[in-house]
This record gives sequence, structure tokens and C-alpha cells, in this order.
Amino acid sequence: MSKAKILLVDDEVTFANNMSRLLAKRGYEVSVVHGGEDALRKVENEEYDVVILDLKMPGMDGLDTLKVLKKRKPFIEVIILTGHGSVDSAVDGMHLGAFDYVTKPVYVEDLNEKIRQAHQRKMMQESKGADGTDVRSHTRFVDR
Amino acid sequence: MIPDSKDSSVKLDSTGRVPKGVYSTLYLRFVALTLLCSIVPLILVGWGIYRYYSRFGYSRMVEDFQTQVESHRKIVELFLKERVSTLRILSQSHSVEHLSRKENLDAIFEISQREGSYFTDLGVLNDRGRHLSYVGPYDLMGNDYSGTFWFKEVMEKGVYISDMFLGFRKVPHFIIVVARTEGDRKWLLRATIYNEFLSALFGNVRIGQTGEVFLLNREGIYQTTPRLGGLLMGQASLPMDLFREESGVQVLGGSALGEEDASPRLVVAYSWMKEPPWMLVVRQDYAEAFRDVNHANLASLLFLFLSALAILVVSLITTGHMIKVIRKRDLEADQLNKQLYQACKLASVGELASGVAHEINNPLAIILTEAQVVRDLEEDTPNLDPEFKSQLDESLDQVETQVQRCNLITQNLLRFSRRTKSLIEMVDLNKFLQEVVDLMHKKAQTSGIRFSRNFEEGLPPLQSDPSQLQQVFLNLINNAIDAHDGKPYGTVRISTRTDEKGKGVEIRVADTGSGIARENLDKIFDPFFTTKPVGKGTGLGLSISYGIIQRLGGHISVESELGKGTEFILFLPFRLPESVREGLKGAGTGGGANE
Repeated sequence: MSKAKILLVDDEVTFANNMSRLLAKRGYEVSVVHGGEDALRKVENEEYDVVILDLKMPGMDGLDTLKVLKKRKPFIEVIILTGHGSVDSAVDGMHLGAFDYVTKPVYVEDLNEKIRQAHQRKMMQESKGADGTDVRSHTRFVDR
Repeated sequence: MIPDSKDSSVKLDSTGRVPKGVYSTLYLRFVALTLLCSIVPLILVGWGIYRYYSRFGYSRMVEDFQTQVESHRKIVELFLKERVSTLRILSQSHSVEHLSRKENLDAIFEISQREGSYFTDLGVLNDRGRHLSYVGPYDLMGNDYSGTFWFKEVMEKGVYISDMFLGFRKVPHFIIVVARTEGDRKWLLRATIYNEFLSALFGNVRIGQTGEVFLLNREGIYQTTPRLGGLLMGQASLPMDLFREESGVQVLGGSALGEEDASPRLVVAYSWMKEPPWMLVVRQDYAEAFRDVNHANLASLLFLFLSALAILVVSLITTGHMIKVIRKRDLEADQLNKQLYQACKLASVGELASGVAHEINNPLAIILTEAQVVRDLEEDTPNLDPEFKSQLDESLDQVETQVQRCNLITQNLLRFSRRTKSLIEMVDLNKFLQEVVDLMHKKAQTSGIRFSRNFEEGLPPLQSDPSQLQQVFLNLINNAIDAHDGKPYGTVRISTRTDEKGKGVEIRVADTGSGIARENLDKIFDPFFTTKPVGKGTGLGLSISYGIIQRLGGHISVESELGKGTEFILFLPFRLPESVREGLKGAGTGGGANE
């Protein structure tokens, strides 16, 4: 399995850069954007496997970004980043179709594992989607 | 909302208590005000009434005396008028020749006696002052009255009534003389009347104990026998120059009677007659005459005084009571304020805590990534100096540890400030507590603690949120175990029973640990208060538990003795109160998930 292509969406520059470095060390191809709109533009132009999305961002809210993302690119798996206070919104995110969530401060190994699982599911879904079955199953909670 | 300090009527001193003097000052002020508003009008009204009725009573008495003296005067005048009239009739209806004969005079006299004329004698005199005839007990035939005052008077005026005099026989009497002009001759008819008949008119008149009626002549000589003190024909001790008017009422003080004391002594009502010029006197001791009026006055003064006294007493009592009520209210308000203040404090701490926690998460995350970046670098760098490497590892471990620690703190902070949405279920408390105990089994064992359970059989289930309850009891048991720090063994006893009123469950968590010092007991539920060494406790556990129990409609309290142990006493109702049920709606397990 080739390593996933990751889009990291977070408005905290230092954090994003560090995290990008750490993930690159673990073999992922990582792009970084700092806002929701930038993220949406990026996924139009390039193929990504997993998006790591921070919920608390200025401009376009994390959850809104998630909604649009799931609509446009249903196969992309999203992992939500959240601070402790927003566990509730993380659960909302799950309902909206996110794969999982991690809380800040993030342990890279945790994130690594989750990315692996998300990528795995994506690949399974894509293969299923090719023969037309079960595409809807993981998008059960998506608002249409 | 914190109540405005301007609203309180009592200023608190530096220790938050009401300064001692305030209530007594308030008391005195109120009493003074009440007295002023009630006693002053009372005095004004009372004094007004007193004066009015005083004067009223006084003038009534005077009128009464006036009336009496007038009526007695009329009696005397009538009496005298009748006598004169009788004499006149006699003199007009008989000729002087007829009456000059003794036997005729005798006959007339006898008739007049029979008909009640009061005459003692009768005498006919000629115009030279000599008796022509006489009937009576005296021997007057030879007397010559031409030089007397009365002779001249009657010759001139046609009638004369004399003052009392003793005469030859020393019997007090007076005479009435009428004149008749018969043709060219004038002759006189004279009669004597004993004083008794006059005195009898009012000799028995009693006016109280000291009141009497008598007649005085111009010189103040008694013309009738005074009932009390004084002699007929004696000098009355009344200063005649005071009685100048035709009639009147005089109050004589001691000074008028020649005594030293000037206070009023006598009431004298007088009335002058014309013919003869006698003064009728009604006299009574002032004290007796005005006794009733004076009593009434005294009574009203006494009443006034008693009223004022009653007002004073009542106002002292009611003001005292009112101050007590005010004091109590102030105390209650004070209590409420304190509670409110505490609640506000907690709320703002909660908000602050929540804000801080959120803000800290990002820097923490960055710190962690930096550490991880360095770790990665370390992995990639061969041939590192072993000392350097080991120090590096140690330091990186520390960074991660401390980040984790901060994480725990922020977790607790957020849990503390969160308005949790609870999940309400029916909880079998005994079973529930057993499960919690089982959870803590391992930790307890390590610390040498054993559990002792005293659960009431058949305890009915209660309406509550199990995950929040779990948080509370885990916290309490944790604390209980930690309290045995330094002791090799101990017991944590958990008991449940239905509370006295049957409304809920009473749960006790007692330990044999180090106990809590008395001065810390009322701070134990404060946020951030901990007696644990730095790094061991956040001081939030109990305040979170307190909040949870309150929100679930119960309450929690603590008893402790240093060195002996601590006991937490909780109450949880069987059914959640309406207000609580309203506030706890919706699904979601709330914040206790991440331990």
C-alpha cells in the first residue's frame, strides 16, 4: 500500500509546519493550507487521500468545510482535529461523515495510526464503489 | 447578578459583619421618632382639652353659685316683702284711732299670729315717735323714738327695715315699720321679727360640708346665724370691700383672709339686696366646691401621663421587635449575598477556566510537535554522544510528561466549567456503587485500603445520571484512598440508606485517613483548593462533584476530625425535582468520557 497523500488544514502555522514535517518523516506526502476555502480549492486541483481538518479556524468554519468537502469529494477521508472543549463538535463532525477525530495536543503515533486506517477504508470504498455497491454505506450521515 | 452594595441599608465593616453600634443607633432613632410623632400631638391635644374643660368646669361652678345666691336672695326678699305687705295692709285697712285702742290691736295681733305673720309684737306710733298702743312682750310704751335713725327714715321713706339688733332683752331681732298718712296725720305701724324666722330661711341649707348661706349687712355683721363658725351679730371675716358689685362670685385666697398662704381658700357668692341693704352670701371652701372639677382635671392629667407612658413602653417594645426583624432580615440577606457571591465566583472561574483551557491547547500542541520533531531528528542522527543522547531523551520525556500534565489540567478545567447535558436513567444505587468500588479495587489494594460496605437492603432506584455520578464517587473514593498517604492500611466505608423523610438516599463515604483541619473544612469544595502536594491534585475534583450533586437535586457535606478521618455525606433524591429535570435534557454522555 502506497503511503497516503495528505492535506493538512490548520490555521496555526507553526503547528501545521511541524506536523507536516513529522508526517513527511513517516512517509506521507503532505500539503499544508491554512483555511477552509484554500482546502476546497486544493482538493479540486489535486488528488488527496486523507484530509486532516482543524475545526476551529477563522473564515470558513471546520464543519462547513467538512460538509462541502464530503459533497464534492465523498471518497476523501477526513480526520478532525479538535481542542478538548470541542468534543461535541467532533461528534457532530462524525455525524457529518468524518472518519475519526484526534484532540490537541496530538500524539503523532496516534495520528499516524488513524491516517493508516482512514487510508485503508478509502481504498476499500473506492474498490467497492467501482462495482457500484455500498457506496452509500459510509456516507450514511452525510447531509444531502 | 451580584446585588448592588448600594441596596443594603447597613454598611458592613472590614470583616463583613454589621458593626455593633448600628442596630442600637437605629433603635434609638426609631424610638425617638415614634415618641416625637405620638407624644407631642398627645400633649397638645391633651393640654388643650384639659384647659378647655378646666375652664368649662370652673365657669359652671361659678354659674351654679351665682344661681344659688340669686335664688336665696329672692327668698329673703319675698319673705320681707310679705311682712311689709302684711303691715301695710294692716295700717291701710284700720284707722289709727281703731288701732290706738289696745284691745283692737290685741285682736289684730292675735289674728296675725294665727295667720303666721312672724310678728313678735306690734306697735302704733304717732308722728312724734311715741307709742300710741303696743302689744308684745316688751315694755315700750314710754319710749321716745323721735331721735332714732329709723324714725327719721320711715317718716321720710314710708317704710323701714332694720338690721338685726339685740335690744334690751338681748334677743336678736329686727323691726319693720310702715308709715301711713291718714288725712293730715302720719302714723307708724311697727312690728318686731325674731331673727330665728329669718335665719330659718336658710339656716339648714347645706352645701356640701363646708357650704352655707347667710346674710350680712353693710359692715359685714351676720344678720342670720351662720351654720358653721361665726356668731349671729358677729363680724364676718370677709373683706367687704371686695363685694362692690350688685352680685358676683369671688374666690378668696388666703391673703384676703389675712393668712400667709395665697392659694384659693373660699368661694364667696354674694348678692346685694336693696331694702334693707343686706348682702346674701353663699360661701363654701374652695377645695370642696371645686373638688369634682379638680378631680376631673387631675384625672385628665393622670390619663395624659399614663397615655404618654403607655406610648413610650409600646414604642420601645415594638421598635425592639422591629429591629430584631430587621436584624434577622439583614442576616438572611447577608447569607444570600454570600451564597450568590459564591455562585458568581464559581461561574466566573468556570468561564475563565474554560477560556484558558481552550487557549492553552494550541501552544501545548505545538510544544508536543516540537518535541516530536526533535525526537525524529535524534533518530536520524547517528553517533550521538551517549551522555548527550541520554540527557536529550530525558528532557524530551519530561517535555511530553509535562505537556500531558497540562492536558490533564485543562481537561479538568473544562469539565469543571461545562454545563453538561446529562443522561437521566433509573439507577440502582447499591449495584452502581459496587461497580465503582470494583473499579477502584486495584488502586485500593496497592494502598492497603479495604472497603467496607453497608448498603440498605432493597433500596429503591433513583433518577440520576450514572456517568456523572460515577465521576463523583470515583473522585470521593480516590480522595479517601489518598487520605491514607503514609499509613500502611485503612478502611473506606460506604453506606447507603433511605433518608429520614423518605424522599431520597443518604450516602456516606467515610475513611480512616488523615482528616481535614477545621479551618479548611468550609473551603474544601472551593475550586483549586487542595491539600495535596504540588502536582498531585488540581483542587477541582470536589468542586466538580459538588456541582454535579447540586445539579442532580441533592446536596453534599463533610465532617472530619484531624488524625481520625473524614466522612462525606451525600443526599440524592429518588425523583429529580422539576427544575432539574427541565435543565437536563438531551442525549450525549457529557464530559466524563476521557479519564
